[in-house]
Amino acid sequence: MSTSSAITVAGLHKSFGSTVALDGLDLEVRAGEVHGFLGPNGSGKSVTIRILLGLLRADSGQLEVLGGDPWSDAVELHRRIAYVPGEVNLWRNLSGGEVIDLLGRMRGGVDPVRRAELIERLDLDPSKKSRTYSKGNRQKVALVAALASPSDLLLLDEPTAGLDPLMEAEFQDLVTEAVGEGRTVLLSSHILAEVEKLCDRVTIIRKGRTVESGSLGELRHMTRTSVRVETERPVHGLQDAPGVYDFASRATESSFEVDGEQLGEVLGRIAEFGIVALTSQPPTLESLFLRHYGADGGGPPVQERPA
Amino acid sequence: MATATVAPVLGALENQPRSGPVTGWPSILRLQLRLDRIKSLVWIASVVALVVVSAISVSELYPDEASVQGYARLVSDNAAVVVQAGPGYGLQTDPSTGAVLMNELSLWTIVLVGLMSILLVTRHTRSEEETERAELLRSTPVGRHAAGLATMVNALLVNVVAAGAVILGTIASGFGAVGSIAFGLALCTSGLLFAAISLVAAQVAATGRAATGIGLAVLAVSFLLRAIGDVTGSFLTWLSPIGIGQGVRAFADERWWTPVLSLGLAAGVTWLAAVLAARRDFGAGMIPERAGRPAATRWMQGPFALALRLQRGALLGWFCGIVFFAAFYGALASEAEEMLADNPDLEQFFALSAGSSITDAFLASAVLILALLLAGYGISGVLRLSGEENNGRVEALLATPTTRTRWASSHLLVTAIGCVGVAAAGGLAVGIGAAVTTGDSSLVAEMLWALLAYVPAVGVLAGVAFVLWAWVPRLAILGWVGLVWSAVVGLLAQLLDLPDWVVSLSPLDHVPSLPAEGFEATGLVTMAAATVLLVAAGLVGFTRRDLGSS
Ligand SMILES: Nc1ncnc2c1ncn2[C@@H]1O[C@H](COP(=O)(O)OP(=O)(O)O)[C@@H](O)[C@H]1O
Ligand SMILES: [Mg+2]
Repeated sequence: MSTSSAITVAGLHKSFGSTVALDGLDLEVRAGEVHGFLGPNGSGKSVTIRILLGLLRADSGQLEVLGGDPWSDAVELHRRIAYVPGEVNLWRNLSGGEVIDLLGRMRGGVDPVRRAELIERLDLDPSKKSRTYSKGNRQKVALVAALASPSDLLLLDEPTAGLDPLMEAEFQDLVTEAVGEGRTVLLSSHILAEVEKLCDRVTIIRKGRTVESGSLGELRHMTRTSVRVETERPVHGLQDAPGVYDFASRATESSFEVDGEQLGEVLGRIAEFGIVALTSQPPTLESLFLRHYGADGGGPPVQERPA
Repeated sequence: MATATVAPVLGALENQPRSGPVTGWPSILRLQLRLDRIKSLVWIASVVALVVVSAISVSELYPDEASVQGYARLVSDNAAVVVQAGPGYGLQTDPSTGAVLMNELSLWTIVLVGLMSILLVTRHTRSEEETERAELLRSTPVGRHAAGLATMVNALLVNVVAAGAVILGTIASGFGAVGSIAFGLALCTSGLLFAAISLVAAQVAATGRAATGIGLAVLAVSFLLRAIGDVTGSFLTWLSPIGIGQGVRAFADERWWTPVLSLGLAAGVTWLAAVLAARRDFGAGMIPERAGRPAATRWMQGPFALALRLQRGALLGWFCGIVFFAAFYGALASEAEEMLADNPDLEQFFALSAGSSITDAFLASAVLILALLLAGYGISGVLRLSGEENNGRVEALLATPTTRTRWASSHLLVTAIGCVGVAAAGGLAVGIGAAVTTGDSSLVAEMLWALLAYVPAVGVLAGVAFVLWAWVPRLAILGWVGLVWSAVVGLLAQLLDLPDWVVSLSPLDHVPSLPAEGFEATGLVTMAAATVLLVAAGLVGFTRRDLGSS
């Protein structure tokens, strides 16, 4: 396995009784990158991350984290990994500050300056008892604990689900800084804007299987651009053109989506009708996401998306 | 335009049934019954089984007047029996097999329904509020008191069904209907009274765990009050819900007003709980939350420190509870001798059995009950692991370079140290209580060793719970079966006429009951070794399995 990979997973299987959680999942995270990990609810993101931490044992498949085996080398690996769980449960009687110190010390020490800075930046009150924290504040506690001591790999399981937009921006800065310091980040998330902003590469999974993986640029190429155009004469004949979807027109205004490969050809044909104004939206991760989610049930079908 | 759309909405609301503080309680009750169906059935079946098996056994052991009178002679004025059973209502005046059954059984059956009711109420009120789902439920149109009312109705149903089954069971075992009905009424109303007390605890306590603790403490104090009251013949019995329950004198000239008294008290205490509930916030107790420290203290360094911190409250609770209980129990020792003086037959009985005295027998029975409580602490301490795992808190810990073995051993070690500490303090407390009242200072050291001798056996019970959790976490709750079994064997073996091999399944049975019996080391060593093996087996299992998640 390549040494420049922080995480290499191939053909990972995991079942709970008759529930198949992972069904041949592949995932490769390169050292030093922010890797987005996307998938609908229940697709197996959290199970994968728990396996990467050695909290769950894989049924079969190849698995390497920072050059070690997550199950048998768990303790050694955990010295280099920081984790923010998706569902942060804290000890109700302990204050946030105590939890941060406890977890930090168990990972080999907290940098007090860094700790103070993080608490300040995330606007956290560390003296409150954990039971009185809101979901977002519990998440902040876990984030501070994860970032306050040195680590090579950050495993973040939907870490911003409860944060407000201000804190989310702060979180994005923190991740960018972490990568700047040479850390690797695996970020499972549902906030596509966040993934688009932060991630170098993404892996999309569905029902425990990898359906798409690559850099955002590569993935964009495989997806559709949406175009809205005003022409001198009404456009016709594009309805059934290959690679065009959701064509709708009202007098001289038309809108449609078009596959990356067909973009040039389709625009050429529109030019024949005299272009007055044209706006195009680059393919978003969202459209990619919805295409895979909608493939068979699960999400809204692509065809019904408003243009 | 806005008014036009608002008006019909208001109209629709007005057509809804009027909503009040208990709106929605039937749906909550249905949900509770659905969630509880197995638990409640197990509890009811246990109560009925205890009563029916005892009833059959008592009718075989005491079939005629002569045997009943023999029992009455040995039991009356024997403080050891009075504390662990009952005051012997009717045994002097009108001895009957039914009176024997009640004397042996009514105390423990009331304790059992009390326990059932306390756990039921805290489970559905204070503990439930700690979950996110409760908030979800509260956000639907349900009134402030709906959950409380549903819980009390649930407790009423369970107690009525249990009592009804007990009445039928006793009648079917050949006992008179009047006495059986009196016993059933006492059970049902005592259970309700404990449910109501627990409902008050649920309003006052800051956490579900604390609410359960308060409920159990009330149960223990009730046990003590009636013990002291019955032994000394004072009014204290009437301050105890258990004492009032036993006071129905089933099969011995029934006093029908005592169940009415219990019921009235239950209603009054429930009303108090409602008043308190109206004054507190959802999810919070009456005692407001203090701020914590902004940073951890220096000693908060790892899994052991955390385990100690997490178990601190429970340990303190058990420690104070057991010491208090032990001191009062011990102090009754002198009464044992005074009572004996009134009973020449019994005096002769103890004179004949060489090397043992009524005080020794009394103290040995005190130590047994304390050992059962100690096992309760030990098992609950070990099962803390299960709680931490189920709530998903352990994930963050085990994602640090802490091994599973180290985390689990930390909790085991805290529990083990706690057990030894509580045993030592409890032993000293019985000893001091007994020494002060009897004037025999050698009892202090004797009782200290007597209770410490139970520690390895408690270790086995806690070890079994640990192994269950470590290998099959879903079965962790069955760890309590060992304690229940030991309690049945320790307290009711003679009554139930259990075969020897069944008795020997209880680890506590292998402990010499000092000071009544002599010291014998083999059993202790064997059990210490068994504890070590169980811990090792559990650690092996825990490092091999998936970690459960929230
Ligand atoms: N401990 C478990 N026991 C049984 N099924 C589980 C367990 N943990 C996860 N699953 C199942 O595995 C699948 C993947 O879950 P998860 O990884 O939590 O999804 P997500 O992608 O939303 O994080 C789901 O179908 C879930 O129900
Ligand atoms: Mg998840």
